[in-house]
Parts: sequence; C-alpha cells; structure tokens
Amino acid sequence: EYEEKTGRAHRPLSPKQNVRKNLDFEPLSTTALILEDRPANLPAKPAEEAQKHRQQYEEMVVQAKKRELKEAQKRKKQLEERCKLEDSIGNAVLTWNNEILPNWETMCCSRKVRELWWQGIPPSVRGKVWSLAIGNELNITHELYDICLARAKEKWRSLSTGGAEVECEDAGFSAADREASLELIKLDISRTFPNLCIFQQGGPYHDTLHSILGAYTCYRPDVGYVQGMSFIAAVLILNLDTADAFIAFSNLLNKPCQMAFFRVDHGLMLTYFAAFEVFFEENLPKLFAHFKKNNLTPDIYLIDWIFTLYSKSLPLDLACRVWDVFCRDGEEFLFRTALGILKLFEDILTKMDFIHIAQFLTKLPEDLPSEEIFTSIAAIQMQSRNKKWAQVKKVLIFDNR
Amino acid sequence: MGSAEEDYNFVFKVVLIGESGVGKTNLLSRFTRNEFNHDSRTTIGVEFSTRTILVGDAVVKAQIWDTAGLERYRAITSAYYRGAVGALVVFDITKHQTYDVVDRWLKELYDHAEASIVVMLVGNKTDLAQAREVPMEEAKMFADNNGLLFVETSALDSTNVEQAFETILKEIFHKVQKQKQRSSQSNTVSLGSESPESTAPAQTEKRPCCVAL
Repeated sequence: EYEEKTGRAHRPLSPKQNVRKNLDFEPLSTTALILEDRPANLPAKPAEEAQKHRQQYEEMVVQAKKRELKEAQKRKKQLEERCKLEDSIGNAVLTWNNEILPNWETMCCSRKVRELWWQGIPPSVRGKVWSLAIGNELNITHELYDICLARAKEKWRSLSTGGAEVECEDAGFSAADREASLELIKLDISRTFPNLCIFQQGGPYHDTLHSILGAYTCYRPDVGYVQGMSFIAAVLILNLDTADAFIAFSNLLNKPCQMAFFRVDHGLMLTYFAAFEVFFEENLPKLFAHFKKNNLTPDIYLIDWIFTLYSKSLPLDLACRVWDVFCRDGEEFLFRTALGILKLFEDILTKMDFIHIAQFLTKLPEDLPSEEIFTSIAAIQMQSRNKKWAQVKKVLIFDNR
Repeated sequence: MGSAEEDYNFVFKVVLIGESGVGKTNLLSRFTRNEFNHDSRTTIGVEFSTRTILVGDAVVKAQIWDTAGLERYRAITSAYYRGAVGALVVFDITKHQTYDVVDRWLKELYDHAEASIVVMLVGNKTDLAQAREVPMEEAKMFADNNGLLFVETSALDSTNVEQAFETILKEIFHKVQKQKQRSSQSNTVSLGSESPESTAPAQTEKRPCCVAL
C-alpha cells in the first residue's frame, strides 16, 4: 500500500535501484520505503486517509532509520573489535619474532613468555614455535624425509602395478597389510577437515598430506598408519612446510602418550585413563560420581580427543590454541583440557544420562567460546594430594606391573 | 592420479583477499570458469581453482586461493599465505567501508607473505557505477603510493577480469625472470650471498620427470 516500487516510467529511479539481483546488494530499508500517491487511473485518497498514511509512513521511516543506525553501530563495534584483535596479534608477532624466538633457549620457560603463550600463538609464528617446542629428538633431516617419501612412492607404484617384491626393511608386513593401510590413508585424507576443502582430492594440500602419511609408514612400519594421524598431519601442514611438518609429525607421535595410543597399547591407555580419573575426581567430584553412577568411562570421549589432539572435536582455531599449550606443557595439558571441557559443561552433564552424555561429549557444540573454555581449563588443578601428573602416572604404571 | 596434467613451466600461487561480499569468489569463477553466480554463498574454507595461461612463450599455471575463512579460521591463515607470489586485494567500489579496510588487509598480507609478493588492488563491481562510493582516482592514487598494481573490474559483466589476472601473472613472471638473472649474476660476482632458491617457494619450475603421487 505505502510502497509501490514498480510502476510508471516517469518516476525517477532511486540511485540504488536493483541493477542486479545480488544478495549482497540490497537497498537500505529507508530508501526502499517510498510513499506513493494512488495511480492516476484510480480515485484519489480522501485527505484524511492520505494524512493518516503519511503519518504511518513517517513512523516507519523513523523506525527503519533507528534500526539502521543500530545495525551500523553494531557493525562499527564489530570492526573495532576485529581491529583490536588484529592489533594485539600484530604486537604479539613482534614480541615473538624480535624477542622470544632469537633467544629461545633462555626465554621459552620464562613467566612472561609462558603467559603470552597461553594467550595463543599468532598464526604467522605458530609453526616455528611448535617446531621448537616439539623438538627433533629423532634427528630427522629433510633428506631422510625425501628418502622415506621415495620409498613410499615406490611401494605405491608396485602395489598399483600388481605388486612384485619390493625390498624394504619391513619384511613381516605383508603386501595385504600395506595395501590396506594405503587404502585407509586414501579414504581418510578426503575425510580430513572436509569443510576446509584444502585436503580433498584436487585441493591444494591433498598430495602433501598423502606424502607425509605415506612417508611415515615407511619411516615407522612398526606403527604404520593409524586413524587420527591424518588430522594431526593436516594441522601441522597448515602451519609448516612439508618436510618440517613431517619432522614435527614424527617427533610428536614419538612422545610417550602418542606412542601408547597410536600403537594401541591397551594397558598403557588404561593407565592414562586411570591417571585422568584421579584428577577428574579431584577437580570435579560431583560430576565424577555422576559419571561413575552412569558407568560412563573416560575412553568413550577421551579416545577421540587424544588421538586427534582435539583437532576433530573442537573448532579448528580453538584446537590450535590447545595445541599451543600442549606444546608448552606436554601430555598433561591434553587431559587438563578434557577436564576443562567437562567443567564448563558440568551443570548440563550432571542432568544427563549415559547416552546423552556420550552423545554430547562425542559431538561438542559447534560454537564453543574459546575464552570460556580456556578460563575453565585454567581453573583445573593438575595436582592431586601433592602429586603432579607425571608422578600419578608413574605410580599407576608401577602398580600395573 | 593427476595423469592428465597439462604441461606448464611455472606454478604461481595467487591469493584473493578483502572483506566478505566484495566479489572475490565471482572474480575467481569468472576467470577460471567464465561463470558468475548471482547468489553465491559465503565461502567456507578455501576455494581453489587453477587456470593455465601463456606469458610470452612460457606456460604459467595460476593456482588461485580464495577464502572467506580468514575471518572465521585464523588457523588457516598461515597455510593460505605460505608460498604466495601474488595477491589481489579486492574491495567493492560501492561500499566505502570495504575500501577503508584495505590497509588492514595489506598489513595482514605483509605479516604472512614474502616481502617480494606482487600485489594488485582491485575495485570490483563497476557495473554498479551509479552507486559508486569510492572514486577511481582515489583508489588509483592509493595504489600508486603503496606500490600496488591497480584495476577496476566487474565480475558480473566481465570487464577487466581477464586483464587483472593476466597483468598480475605477467608481473610475477617478470619478477621471477629478473630474480633468476640477478641471482645467476651475483653468483658469479660474489660468493656467499644468500641462496637464490629461498625467494619464492610456489614459483616451482616443473621438472619434466616430476612424479605425481
């Protein structure tokens, strides 16, 4: 009634008339509201009605302007927040590059650095910091990576051509095993962060992910490819060049906790779960009792979290922040993170039964607020009756023998 | 896989950056597939397309990355910029705000990419000339002052899209050629200078025996 947009030709076009149907380009609501008289072929409105309509029209315009102003303010605030965040990241980059990285050995354990580290490492230096923190105990060189990769390619070629004998040190591993592992890698690559479109067939880092996983199966035929590895390799590829990603990958998997899980050493895994439960009971006794009552064992949620280092279960940005501190604090931070998540959702979880808890924890909400999670993790004490994580674990391992 | 790969001499990684809604994805699809999508959705993650063009007598494969993910996932920024030798910083000529933040995008770019990266400022949506909010001269001057290439395009009616990508790819090509010459010269003149290889990772020269996985 009040806005007749189409119509007679003599009407001047509004400057932002829809030239193209683009969802991005919508006229502002105030400019879209145009008060029109009735078309000439119809009787004119009575003066009173016209007056009323004019008034209604003006009210609408005022309302719309208010709304727009509010929107504009909201946008401005968002932009300000973004700028602030970007500035703080920019400052952190300078500190990392100019002060910390050149003096790594002396500075990496200082209080100031540890605090900055907790805030999250800026993406542009993240790879470097991870590499330094993970280290290279295995002394892997770029050349060794090339050799492993060449071997992997050789294997793949021989398998695809029907598989004559290829001599590798891993006798005892049948061609069938290798083929199965190769198939598994292929399958998993396309399932690794599918929404990023980076690792899928035809994506920019598809071949890189394939190469690193293949090279690893040649480097450690005793471990081979285990599901979950593709996520770890992918996160590293996002932050490091190929050979460096391989070095970090192999060294990371060589850590005791990762070795226990990727070799599927059940006894040792149970020990880790038991240690986790000690701190669970200490930090969240009520929830712990609730889980016990419902027979909800930690393996149900921890397996996925530990195998993929949270990269599958948490939003990627948040997962990278967990990785940051994991690189700083080691395996205990993985379990501390788990407790932080449980703590954050303690109230909801205590009201759920077995199946709902299991569902909730294996598919966490997508919009996890990273600040809240980290506040929650910070509140978790990794100390039980004066014993630290490593001591508790040691005692449990000893008891198991 | 990758058996039907065309032959090329160079691969150049080029990234598209700029505020969301300025038309990055449509610029890319216009260049690589000659398509325009009126209601294209927000890009999630990375869109990735390639097109091979001829520069002089060299075959150049442009590997173009497009993402809106930057605002959503900081976790992928490093991978996004790594090895990029060219960048198109896109704004919408009908939305001044998208032009105002160009220098923030440049800062982000220089924080992550090689200093030698070739950058082009692109004012998109010239088909909406009557709604223009950013004068061409202003943007041109900004580009000149900051050492950027500059062009105005319309992904909708194809104006200058081809030209934009060709210009930046040519510029990259010339830069690479110069670098090569310079490094071979400097090698003869002085020993112990920095290694010529470390300059730009993505401009890989394809070896004929290259094995695809």
